[in-house]
Amino acid sequence: MSDATTPKTYRWKNPLSAWETTTGNDEADSITVADPAMPWQASKGFKVETHPVGRLKYFVVWPAHGARTWDRARWWPTRRNFLNIKGLYNRKTAVAEKKILDRKPIYWLLCLIALALGPILFPENQTNALLTAGATFGIFAAINVCWTLIIGTASIFSLATYAVVGTAAFVTSFLSIQYGVPWYFLMPAGALIGLAFGVLIAIPALRLDGFYYALLTLGLNELFRVFFTTSKQFGSASGGLYGADSFINPDWEPLTQSYVAYYAAFGLLVASLFLFRFINGKRLGRVLRMAPEKREAFAAACGVDYKRARITIFLATSTALGFIGGFYAAQYRGVAYSIFDFQTVLLGLAMVTIGGIGRAEGAVLGTLVVIFLRDVLIEFGPIRYLIIGAAMLAVVLFLNNGYFGIRKQFNAWRAKKRGEWRSTRAEKGGELLPEEATEIDDKDHLYFRRYDKMQRDYLKTLIKPEIIEEHRRQPLGQHSEALERVLLYFRRAKMEDKYALRSAGPHGPYKIIAFSGTRGVSPRLVDDREFVTLDEAYHGVFMRRVHDLLES
Amino acid sequence: MDIAFIFVNAITVAAIYGLIAVAVSITWSSLGLINLAYGFIYSFAGYSAWLVATYVARQYLDPALHPFVIAATGILAGALGGILVCLVVFIPLHDKPAFTSRGMIATLAISLIGSQLLLMAFGPTAKSLPELFGRWRVKFMDITLTADKIGIVVCSALMLAVVVMWMRSSRRGLEIRAMMMNPHAASIVGIGIRRTGIYVMALTGAMAGLAAVLLSQTYFISPFSGLTPLIKGVSIALCGGLGSIQGAVIAAILLGLVEALTNKFMGGQYVLMTQFLFIILVLIVRPRGISGLLDKAREQ
Repeated sequence: MSDATTPKTYRWKNPLSAWETTTGNDEADSITVADPAMPWQASKGFKVETHPVGRLKYFVVWPAHGARTWDRARWWPTRRNFLNIKGLYNRKTAVAEKKILDRKPIYWLLCLIALALGPILFPENQTNALLTAGATFGIFAAINVCWTLIIGTASIFSLATYAVVGTAAFVTSFLSIQYGVPWYFLMPAGALIGLAFGVLIAIPALRLDGFYYALLTLGLNELFRVFFTTSKQFGSASGGLYGADSFINPDWEPLTQSYVAYYAAFGLLVASLFLFRFINGKRLGRVLRMAPEKREAFAAACGVDYKRARITIFLATSTALGFIGGFYAAQYRGVAYSIFDFQTVLLGLAMVTIGGIGRAEGAVLGTLVVIFLRDVLIEFGPIRYLIIGAAMLAVVLFLNNGYFGIRKQFNAWRAKKRGEWRSTRAEKGGELLPEEATEIDDKDHLYFRRYDKMQRDYLKTLIKPEIIEEHRRQPLGQHSEALERVLLYFRRAKMEDKYALRSAGPHGPYKIIAFSGTRGVSPRLVDDREFVTLDEAYHGVFMRRVHDLLES
Repeated sequence: MDIAFIFVNAITVAAIYGLIAVAVSITWSSLGLINLAYGFIYSFAGYSAWLVATYVARQYLDPALHPFVIAATGILAGALGGILVCLVVFIPLHDKPAFTSRGMIATLAISLIGSQLLLMAFGPTAKSLPELFGRWRVKFMDITLTADKIGIVVCSALMLAVVVMWMRSSRRGLEIRAMMMNPHAASIVGIGIRRTGIYVMALTGAMAGLAAVLLSQTYFISPFSGLTPLIKGVSIALCGGLGSIQGAVIAAILLGLVEALTNKFMGGQYVLMTQFLFIILVLIVRPRGISGLLDKAREQ
């Protein structure tokens, strides 16, 4: 410490002594007082690195007329809003504003419009190839959205999704070839088959835990593959079953056929997204959000019949998958055995994983990435599968929940890092840390805390035996500057836990009490020590406060 | 076909699949990892053994040594593959959220990448290993036992016995068993999770490697040939109860029996169906498999 802050002892003379009106000390040993501005100047100089703090959360805000702040557009005839909008008044300008809290519907709409207008933007020479890939994308995305419902919403880790689709496709193709069933009956027939198979494979799901079921369905997939490839009815020689009725007329121009296929698949994708929305976003999905893995017992105790909800979703989704299977057969005039391949399951899992399990957007994005790699970049050769596998591995190793989980994971990581940074620079005692400060509305409070801390630091340097002795000799009346500063600070303390004296009789003895700070709540007794005279009691309070100051 | 012949066949195949089932079981119960990359490890070990058999053994080594060299190569390559999976999947992931599902997907990704790499390196044509056990045969009460069948059963029983002995009597085995019982407590008393992970994966990989060498003399090695053993092994492990070696052995024998009976009375194409019906029935009665206990199931 420099000389200025080190208090020097000197002999204080009471100015009143010249008029001989002093009541106590004429003279006392005291200390010189340093400049009170010093701690301020010392703390103003930043010693540590400063970092930008606060929340980076941008919302789209646009002005609204005050009277229309609460206006809402709704989906007719429900009471649901188009967008989750919050009407509010700007804190600084007091102008009415509207803030979009959930922008996902806008992004969905834009992406779907892009998909719908995509064929216009495809390069001329690749239109046909891209349309074909787009049709595959639509169907696989629809399958994966349904699969997401099973894995994510119902948390049944089933790997037999493609087996259900394949079975429905094979049986409907068979029906169409053998009995001439027209294409518009294939999808409902497929849905029925899907439901039947759903019931069949849902029975073990009732009893088995997630991963046991995953392993079982892996085997079921193989079983279906072997069954269909070896059975004579399903054309084991030709690598698939072809010749079903289709909604695509072979007499049309090839490009027209591709367009029809593309938009049909697009329609299927939109339908599956609606299914996702109506299962995941409504009662079933909400019920199951209450019953995540390992907390089923709690949910069951709250009256959530999670098993029933899961099986309902599983059956509904199996029906949808069967429908997609019928659609598949009607679109491609049949189906190949490769739909039962382990490779297909792996690619499907890659599609679901890359985007993030449990989200429709994850399933669609993952499908887009994988189908683009597989069907558009054909000139890459087998390296495509390596890229897909590497992407899947990287996503699983580094991301908690795929691409769409990055934001949450990043925020958690940032919060962790913030905590670490905070602990490295938490040397300033009473002040609020910057991260807390941004969360407090009353900024006066921040300045008060900061000023108070500096003042306490300064006053601690003044607590010396001299001033304690001076106070002991005369608690009230004129004091030296050092003691007077300390006393002024003590007197200005908050009512909460402020010390006071309680006298047992008209002339003592006295005990120290502390106010509760709350009206109607009586003070508490601080300790049992009794003081005989009032001055002793004043000094007892003083010592207690000095103690508190040095402790803080 | 003769029931005894079919039964011998089923037992032979069950012995091999039982190896993989035990591997899956040990990995799951000690590490909590569902390793579906055994298919890749299997093919990897098979190709390594084939490389050694074709390019090293045939040219430089005494024919009497061939079986040992080839088997050792397969086992070592399998152990190497297991360690690879451990380094890539288990060590980075084991303390992350949703480890079980992410681990499973990661092993699937490895099998996707690995089988594509094998496909690029060796092409789609299947390779086959020379016969390790010679061509002799034994007649025993009207049943002709060929050398490879006896060899397969003896070798896998030997491997299993060695593994069980090692797990029972060695310090490392004690560590692995401690991890099976309670991974958290094991790590508290100083058993390194990662180190034990490497032992476990090397051991189970070696078992898959041996299975590859044994099976590839009768069948072929191709980039995707590990899939059937993997699925069979996983099903046996599931039926026997994940985490239980004796359960896996019982399930392997039972499923072999089911296979033999189906072959006899219904026809070969129904084998998988009856097997899965059997597995599903077992699992509906006992959701944790034949000898899996509900309370002792690993919670991670």
